[in-house]
Amino acid sequence: MRSFLGMALAVLTLALAPFGSALAQADTRPDLVIAVDNLWPTMEPVNGISTTGGRVHPSIYDTLLRRRFVGDPAGVEKEPMLATKVEQTAPTVWRVSLREGVTFHDGTTMTAEDVAFTLSSERLWGDRPMAPRGKTFARGFKRVEATGPLTVEIETTAPDPTVPDKLALMIAYVVPKAAYLRMGADQFGLRPIGTGPYRVVSFNSGDAIRLEAFDAYWGGRPPAKSLTFRIVPEFSARLAGLVSGEFDFIVLVPFDQRDVMRRYADVTLLDRQLENYPMFSFDTLPAPDGQPANPLVNADLRKAMVMAIDMDAITDALWGNATFTPSAPFNFPEYGPGYFDAARKGRYTRHDPAQARQLLQRSGYRGQELRWHIVRGFFPNYESAAEIMVEQWKQVGINVQMVVVENFDLAYRRPFHLLNMSMSSEFSGDPMRPLWIDWGPGSNRVAASHKTWVPTPKFLELGQAFEFENDPAKRKALYLQLVEEWETVTPAMYLWRTVVSYAHKKRYEWTSTSSEAMRFDAAHFKVAR
Amino acid sequence: MNLRFLGMKAFRTALTLWLVVTFVFVVLRTSGDPLVSLLPADSEPEVIAYYRTLWGLDRPLPVQYLRYMAAVFQGDFGISLRDTRPVIDLVTERVPATALLGLTALALALMVGVPLGILAAVRRNTLLDRLTMAFAVLGFAIPNFFLGILMILTFSLTLRWLPSSGTGTPWHLIMPACTLGLATAGALARFTRSSMLEVLRRPYMRTAQAKGVAPGGRILRHALPNAAIPVVTVLGFSLGGLIGGAIVTETVFAWPGVGRLLVSAVAARDLAVVQGLVLLIAATMVIANLVVDLLYGLLDPRIRVASVDA
Repeated sequence: MRSFLGMALAVLTLALAPFGSALAQADTRPDLVIAVDNLWPTMEPVNGISTTGGRVHPSIYDTLLRRRFVGDPAGVEKEPMLATKVEQTAPTVWRVSLREGVTFHDGTTMTAEDVAFTLSSERLWGDRPMAPRGKTFARGFKRVEATGPLTVEIETTAPDPTVPDKLALMIAYVVPKAAYLRMGADQFGLRPIGTGPYRVVSFNSGDAIRLEAFDAYWGGRPPAKSLTFRIVPEFSARLAGLVSGEFDFIVLVPFDQRDVMRRYADVTLLDRQLENYPMFSFDTLPAPDGQPANPLVNADLRKAMVMAIDMDAITDALWGNATFTPSAPFNFPEYGPGYFDAARKGRYTRHDPAQARQLLQRSGYRGQELRWHIVRGFFPNYESAAEIMVEQWKQVGINVQMVVVENFDLAYRRPFHLLNMSMSSEFSGDPMRPLWIDWGPGSNRVAASHKTWVPTPKFLELGQAFEFENDPAKRKALYLQLVEEWETVTPAMYLWRTVVSYAHKKRYEWTSTSSEAMRFDAAHFKVAR
Repeated sequence: MNLRFLGMKAFRTALTLWLVVTFVFVVLRTSGDPLVSLLPADSEPEVIAYYRTLWGLDRPLPVQYLRYMAAVFQGDFGISLRDTRPVIDLVTERVPATALLGLTALALALMVGVPLGILAAVRRNTLLDRLTMAFAVLGFAIPNFFLGILMILTFSLTLRWLPSSGTGTPWHLIMPACTLGLATAGALARFTRSSMLEVLRRPYMRTAQAKGVAPGGRILRHALPNAAIPVVTVLGFSLGGLIGGAIVTETVFAWPGVGRLLVSAVAARDLAVVQGLVLLIAATMVIANLVVDLLYGLLDPRIRVASVDA
């Protein structure tokens, strides 16, 4: 009897073994809910370039190269993603070798045709492109061609050392050509297909986007079973949801709420400096006929205004040690030791009221009111800083009036003398975007209705040389000359580097990036032991 | 129901809607450039020009207006500049959520406000009356956003009884519906009380009492129907309040309805969506008022006759 029971038990054990094994392998990965303030209505990665879209894109798509943030918060180095190698074969030609065996979420295999289409004129930079916002980032592209099953060639109009950097941008999120052309850009944005670690299950731009792990991901099994980015516009609701366990991550913790967040033992608060610098530009252009003369056409007045401000003290008072004011224009740490020098000081970016008064006297300024157009609440702490700055200007005899308006359209309406804006330092791995693209002849600071300056001939000459210079040493020398010429004019002033705060459950380990992108692949996210 | 009466009401309804649509169209088009809000601040002029042409914003205003009106008459409310989807799709996706929230809040307001008003009138000058009126004033006075956040902090953050935001279960509906319905409940309680007080003094109420009708029957069968006209008026007004309140409540509780869509469309200056939603809200208000007018006629035939004569 006993042996019969033993045999029966053994048979039963064998019979149930597969179930037991299945149970043992049950998917224990977390279903993450990320409470965000909003979602961009399209997940087409170029038409959807935005803070709210950019948070989601890295989970759906992969770029050809990617900035490495693990172990390097500045993300100076790039790592291979869908491209295994990018090499310059001629001064204007780059060859991109692609990873083998990468599949899209629809099961098709990624080919060179897909990559060529992703970067093509048809999609990004032609006369009537499907994703026209790509033009800015694909500037200089002349030909993109699949030259083999896993090889693509990119030709530029002139030597462009920033091509590898462009391949780490949103224009290089690879999309499947056939599906994209079949659906069109708009429909593709609603039902996106990529090669990323998660595939889209449902998307309602007014509510949430839900993604589930794409276990055939070339980079290995994703660490979360699913991701849901849910819109929760009100911070109190995001906070309550995080604390009560409805959410795993929340974004945009207001700066004055950080101490509240720190009181919760199972919550991690994370401050992250982004590659963006709020600033204001001076209107350096003469006033139109019939309007009062613009005192700011005089560079001495602009320099006096910069020197009258104790920007370090203001940044410290408003942000503590969460951020800093650059010691010189365009001297940004995210560009690495090649361009950043902590010891470098700007010619005018120091607090020197005595020097400011001298410059002011030389400028012939007679106390005319200068209007500063500011968009309400657009840049955190901006209005608070502006109030302090207005007082500091008053102390040296400069009369600035803050005009706070509701949106940029109102801010752009003249007359104004100072205009709030920000400057992105993300783009090309070196200062080309903030220094040349954003202040060069094609920029809206030069060409839009709210333009504020005209580049000097020397700035134009240096900028064109800088854009196409391949030699790192010469390129850096041109950069320094360009900065010096910019300072000679001083068309703007930087305030600080932008900071955002995230909060998440303490049981997770997460590496953030210096842009809006939130990565949840195995390299950036794991459940703590 | 008199056909002339209905025809006049329908004409006024159509005229009101046309005026609202035209006003909103002109205000939106002349109050600024939507591309400044829709595209990133550092968009190159070439990209801005491309979208201006693509969306027909480079055409003269009268041309844009005529094209828009012609399309509206064919049921085409345009394409969202931000979502690049038909406005009608975006709106119809959101209407069920707002309708669920609004109707729940209205039902809650009716279930709480009317009985409280009746009780306060019947127990006039008692503690119950004073408490009811205090509730009514509080309901009016507390702004939606404040009450919503207070509820989140109490019931989600501290007590952890209810979900803080979103949809999915009946639990998700409780806080938004209470937030939205409280002001209406307060208004209904107050108007029901004063209307009931007036009716309770009428001779036919004394007659009913003299005939031996039970107190409950007197209130429900004799007093309440006669006190209903001011209450119906308040309900008509409250519908507007519910739609307006939904804009705030939906934002606070991340409720995916038309209120939130309107907030995001206004922020992004998504012209077609704002126009479509304003038309929807105006139509809802106008139709609600029409229904209220018709109900007056049903409740009191003297009003129907007077309207036709006028």
